[in-house]
Amino acid sequence: MEEIRAVLDPRVIKLNLNAIDKKDAITQLAQGLKAADYIDDVAAFIKDIYVRESEGITGIGQGVAIPHGKSDDVQNVGVAIGILNHGIEWETLDDQLVNIVILFAVSNDQEASRNQLKLLSLFAGRLGSDHVIEALHEATTVEEVIETFTKEKRVS
Amino acid sequence: MKIVGISACSAGIAHTYIAKQKLIDAAKKAGDTINMETQGTIGTEDALTPAQIDAADVVLLAVDVKISGRERFEGKRVIEVSTDTAIKSPNKLLEKVHQVIGK
Repeated sequence: MEEIRAVLDPRVIKLNLNAIDKKDAITQLAQGLKAADYIDDVAAFIKDIYVRESEGITGIGQGVAIPHGKSDDVQNVGVAIGILNHGIEWETLDDQLVNIVILFAVSNDQEASRNQLKLLSLFAGRLGSDHVIEALHEATTVEEVIETFTKEKRVS
Repeated sequence: MKIVGISACSAGIAHTYIAKQKLIDAAKKAGDTINMETQGTIGTEDALTPAQIDAADVVLLAVDVKISGRERFEGKRVIEVSTDTAIKSPNKLLEKVHQVIGK
């Protein structure tokens, strides 16, 4: 799973994020994506994210939300991860507050970014493992967050 | 029980792959074997083989969109749910599948 590291950029992994609500969390993460040259324009990108938000629930339970969408505004495929200090309201499958927000940036030019999209799909799959989510909640450094996704399942 | 399945969501970016992993973990827990095909934005991956489909007791579709190759399952027992259901309660879903299939 070490290859997943290629889509995990320490510049857009934020710990101890303070967000007052969903919009604020998405905006802060989008600003990070802009600063790291993943997207061109924060407002245009967020507009496309909300298109996907309107189509279905992105809170996958266990305190995790995965807003995502395809946007012409995305220059480089990537993912921003925010670990929040306090849970926020979100539309979720288990009606729990969300304190981990994982914002996917996916371009409409899928041929050009195929390799990155493949890695992103592996990354997404890791979010389906309970032990990954548990480890993510316990992570206290950016490297620990990255290792959550890149390390094979620990022997328990 | 032998399961084959497909997951596919509307954007084809995240839920497809999360649902796949959830179902694989739940099947492992329940002592079932499972093969999951994904139909996402990068296309079809881990395509089910005719032999896998043939041997399966049930076809489990966790899909929010129209999938391709549905005719492969003609004559099989097919259970269809949303990716949300597979992600939210995969263990309960498999219990239900066991009940329905009677295995």
